Amino acid sequence: MLISPEGAAGPSRPPRARKKCRGKGYLPYLYLLPILVFAAVFTYQPFFRVVVQSLGTVGAGGKFLKFVGLDNYRYLFGNGDFQNAFAVTMKLAAMFVPLNLALSLTIALLCSKKRRLSPVYEMMFLLPMAISMSALSMIFQLMLNPTSGIVNHLLGVDWGWFSDPRFALYGILLVCLWMGVPFDSLVLLAAMRNIPPSMLEAATMDGAGPAARLFYIRLPVLSPMIFYIVCTDVIASVMTSGPVMIITEGGPSRSTTTLIYMMYTSGFQSSNYSLAACISIFVFALTLLFTLLAFSFEKKVYYQ
Amino acid sequence: MNAKKFRLSDAAVTAAALALGAVLVFPIVYCFLSSFKDLGEFMAYPPTLLPESFGNTGNFSKALTQTPILRFMLNSLIVALIGTALRILFAAMAAFAFAYYDFPGKKILFAVVLAIVMLPDDTLVVSNYLTVTKLRLLDNYLGMCITSLAGASQMFLLRQHFKTIPKEMYEAAQMDGCGSLNYIFRVIVPVSRPILMTLAVQSFIGFWNSYLWPLLVTNREEMRTVQVGVTMLTTLDATSYSLVMAAVTIVTAPSILLFLILRRNIVEGMSSGILVG
Repeated sequence: MLISPEGAAGPSRPPRARKKCRGKGYLPYLYLLPILVFAAVFTYQPFFRVVVQSLGTVGAGGKFLKFVGLDNYRYLFGNGDFQNAFAVTMKLAAMFVPLNLALSLTIALLCSKKRRLSPVYEMMFLLPMAISMSALSMIFQLMLNPTSGIVNHLLGVDWGWFSDPRFALYGILLVCLWMGVPFDSLVLLAAMRNIPPSMLEAATMDGAGPAARLFYIRLPVLSPMIFYIVCTDVIASVMTSGPVMIITEGGPSRSTTTLIYMMYTSGFQSSNYSLAACISIFVFALTLLFTLLAFSFEKKVYYQ
Repeated sequence: MNAKKFRLSDAAVTAAALALGAVLVFPIVYCFLSSFKDLGEFMAYPPTLLPESFGNTGNFSKALTQTPILRFMLNSLIVALIGTALRILFAAMAAFAFAYYDFPGKKILFAVVLAIVMLPDDTLVVSNYLTVTKLRLLDNYLGMCITSLAGASQMFLLRQHFKTIPKEMYEAAQMDGCGSLNYIFRVIVPVSRPILMTLAVQSFIGFWNSYLWPLLVTNREEMRTVQVGVTMLTTLDATSYSLVMAAVTIVTAPSILLFLILRRNIVEGMSSGILVG
């Protein structure tokens, strides 16, 4: 039988092992110790605790009281607040992901060719990355103020961006877009500049116009990156909590209560750890799905 | 004729790009300009974009003297420096082990470290809060960054990089009696300076901008980080919106300056970071 180098475990490949580390066999473990300790204590331990807590009743201070099976999940899925939070989160994702992609693609396309003023507008597109989520949230809160804010005045409307349940989620959406667009357009632009110019020139020679070049060359070459971005954006929007905490606190009348915000309030305000744990697991399952999808697309990303 | 047509479309694209760019930077400009307004001006109807004069710097001095934003910035700086230093150190150590050694369990441990990226921090905050409370790390600089010290993507990128450094060099160094720690600091670190710098900048930004976790583990005002503190200024003085904008301008100015200086590192860090999630 052939011994594959991949399948061989430690003892069956002493020659290489001996050549690589002389004597001190514990050394690599020593180097791995810090990262493993912190991963164990602050990633894996809480994860398993959350799994366990979601299956039982939990008392004050996170003490596990008794095992109840899937009762918490049954309660969660029947809970109106959860259904609302899920609907709000999905609505936000359904608006954020396509808009973010469309805007980022537009920007990447506008920037793809170097022009005289490229450095100026490229800087304008990237600059919002320098501003933090909380600073941006504060600015939007004032900018979108119904009376003293400049945006309503410029648009000639009197929308209560963060005070009217019909508009509040759109206000949050705007903040999310400002945080998402610069980064995604940067990534798309980098990918677009990786397209060999000869490919586009050849197409032009063959009579392909700008639209044909976009739909038959650029987008197909970019498609793995686009799918990857869509997946990470879905994750990002499912995880939205910051602007909600700062600007609306889930309101008005639950219209901006996202899943993570609900997890936060059930855990910290109502001390309902089991409920918070169930939401964590639910969000985790959602993000895992899209992380795996993102990884599968990432493998197909066109590298130079 | 063709050239002329091209120039025309270039102008149109440039105009469109500038317009879109103006929309994107508008909040930053708005924040900066609003900082110069006094309260009456800020609340006046119809609202204006430009302040009456740029001579009114009272909000800035008020923000610096009457609000603790300088302390907030110092806190953030300390937390971000501790977090970045430890995260990069741990990631580099692990990357060194994975790149240079063969040992039983290597594949499993590698998977264990990489899988961290699949468990989003924000879904674990409730449980981590209980742990950090038990460790008595509330209102503590280490506590504010302790949950993000295991940097899987940093480890992955460093390992990829370390693998490009010829192993023969390490073997030769060992022959000459150079220990592994010595080798890390004398050979690997200098050779890897660019990528270490890029990852450090990226981590620093991440720690500097983090919001939810520092919010949870700080109770005392003087321990708040800048991202948390700046959102609480409205409660200090409920009506001073332009003061808040001045404070936001002050805390954002260093980030924008750093962004302009370190743009290359940031852009590289972000585009390399995305490939590992």
